[in-house]
Amino acid sequence: MSDIVSRLERVLNPRSVAVVGDKRAMGYFWLRNMSTFKGKLYSVQIDPNEIPGILELGVSNYAGLLDIPDEIDYVVCAVPRPVAPRIVADCVAKKVGGVSLFTSGFAETGEEEGIRLQEQTASTAREGGLILIGPNCMGIYNRRLGVRQAMDQPSGDEGDVGFIAHSGTHAINFSLLGAAHGVKISKSVSAGNCAVVTPADYLEYMAQDAETKVIGMYLEGMQEGRRFFDILKRTTPLKPVVVWKGGAFEGGRRAMFSHTGALATSSTAWQALTKQCGVISVDSLDEMVDVMKALLFAKPATGRRMGLVALTGGQSVVITDAFERAGLDVPLLSDRSYAELSTFFDVIGGSYRNPLDAGGTLGFGAVPENLARMLRVLDADERIDAVAVEVSPRMMSRRMPGAQSPVDWLPDMLAAHKERSTKPLFAILHPMDLEAFAAQERQKYVERGIPTFSGFDQVARAFAKVVEYRRFVAEMSQ
Amino acid sequence: MSITSIIDRAKTDGRRTLTEIESKDILEEAGIPTAHARLATTADEAVAAAKEIGFPVALKIVSPDITHKSDIGGVKLNLTTPDEVKAAFDEIVAAAMKAQPDATIDGVSVQKMARPGIEVIMGMSQDAQFGPVLMFGLGGILVEVLKDVSFRLVPITPRDARQMVQEIKGRPLLEGYRGQEPADVEALEKLLLRLSDFIEKHPEIAELDLNPIFAYKDGAIAVDARIILS
Repeated sequence: MSDIVSRLERVLNPRSVAVVGDKRAMGYFWLRNMSTFKGKLYSVQIDPNEIPGILELGVSNYAGLLDIPDEIDYVVCAVPRPVAPRIVADCVAKKVGGVSLFTSGFAETGEEEGIRLQEQTASTAREGGLILIGPNCMGIYNRRLGVRQAMDQPSGDEGDVGFIAHSGTHAINFSLLGAAHGVKISKSVSAGNCAVVTPADYLEYMAQDAETKVIGMYLEGMQEGRRFFDILKRTTPLKPVVVWKGGAFEGGRRAMFSHTGALATSSTAWQALTKQCGVISVDSLDEMVDVMKALLFAKPATGRRMGLVALTGGQSVVITDAFERAGLDVPLLSDRSYAELSTFFDVIGGSYRNPLDAGGTLGFGAVPENLARMLRVLDADERIDAVAVEVSPRMMSRRMPGAQSPVDWLPDMLAAHKERSTKPLFAILHPMDLEAFAAQERQKYVERGIPTFSGFDQVARAFAKVVEYRRFVAEMSQ
Repeated sequence: MSITSIIDRAKTDGRRTLTEIESKDILEEAGIPTAHARLATTADEAVAAAKEIGFPVALKIVSPDITHKSDIGGVKLNLTTPDEVKAAFDEIVAAAMKAQPDATIDGVSVQKMARPGIEVIMGMSQDAQFGPVLMFGLGGILVEVLKDVSFRLVPITPRDARQMVQEIKGRPLLEGYRGQEPADVEALEKLLLRLSDFIEKHPEIAELDLNPIFAYKDGAIAVDARIILS
């Protein structure tokens, strides 16, 4: 374990946490975030008007970090900017593992005083061997230990996604949206201005963290680009890295004298790096979550040939469009599959070339066994690598009110199929006009480990990217 | 001269741009085949060099201050007689002095006219965040118009080299479009790998152009080359 990794190990898995400078005007934001923390929680506050409110929360308060009669692994610093350098100096003196500076007003302002204070604080931390996260950040989130960046983040159980973000908003939003889809965070860092610890450091930690199976990043800039490249190259053959890049990296471009220099743009190097390292690039928070679901909950596969099941003729057309648009194939099935399908498929109001337009066969008077048979046919067909099934709860509930509704038996049926099958399986839950209903239905699938998507394009794009990644890994291991 | 002594000499002279002859000497030493060039400082020297190398020859201005040689009339190709060489020498020097009166002119390079091949470019520039970036594409004078190029960070792997060549839109040209001679893709990939290796070993090199490289069905050769130091 490298020095930076072992120091981050202590900070990201703290046994004790101290919050410095929390107050009533902030709604005791940080102490409430830490209310789920499984270790020992302390507060540091000198303002006598604030202390009673802190004690009411059941947290012991001290006048200074150095007064706490315990070792401190992680500190959240929420003091005003002018006080921050002194708190960081106290952290060094106290030999704490690391500190997150929630305090803002540093280099991100672009003003001279902010830049000066950031440099001063950073050099104190560097010289003192202190992990300084931020400044201008929301700190860390460890779901298992209940160390949180926001009080609505879930806690108590383990996760498998390590997340690194330059933006605290995106770190928190990903943890919440992900959780709604079963994508749970192991450790997350809101990295802020990265005055001391950079994305390369966090990546090196996540790469070796046993709890972390998949890594996600939201990046706005780059520090230590060469080191980042080296670590990324070693990481991606072992763990997928999904990157959402916001804005353009500042190139700091110099005058170029060569043709080559004239042709390179500020995004050239980044795009080259993503290809070389097999990075999965995404463009939004939603796509990040979609790709994570395809990585975590679908069986791994390198094939691009889709077997599709839709509920109507119109949906059969557009589900095919979506997968082909994403660069995946929708081939004809084998003769054996067609022979089997012809024995039970209702071709009045349906067809089964691929997609299987299952509405007629499934629809009114639905027979669960018919869908199970379709899935078994696709599973056995050697021309098919992965299967996607349209689950339209709205349509199903409209057609099938009452006890026999597919809405009730589908999740278990798909879960049983997933158990048997070696091929990736995806479910598309169109919200249509009933967002709340779809969200409620989705939970049944999340609980059963079936990845669901809100539309055909979403699942097609996510799966295409995951297939590219799996092919990259296969190529690397040759 | 060795790579380090050429670079040291340029540094002593306070130059960032190496001449074509210096650049090619360095690349040859790194195992990258070039159309070898000789320096002539007079028209007579140019004729003598041409006779020794064998006609036809190409003449190009050699000046650390002139980077885009063909733009200023500093390149004459396919010269087949001593008289043509003599005239070309004078015309090139006159054109260079007219275009850039302050430029230092070392002379004119004489090189054997390379057999025409498919023109490709390889090069390197520096990215502020990620360091040296290697480029491959369709070369010649149209490179900045077509911008049909691919990039990878140095160092590259054989997989990267393969993808760089496969990625460009003009790939069918490399495969022998409409009965033309195909390019030796394997040789191009090897060249990219050697270049990456060379760049990694020489961080003092800021930018690099091999343009054009003539690609044949059996091998490839850098016809022009330029190295810029940091």
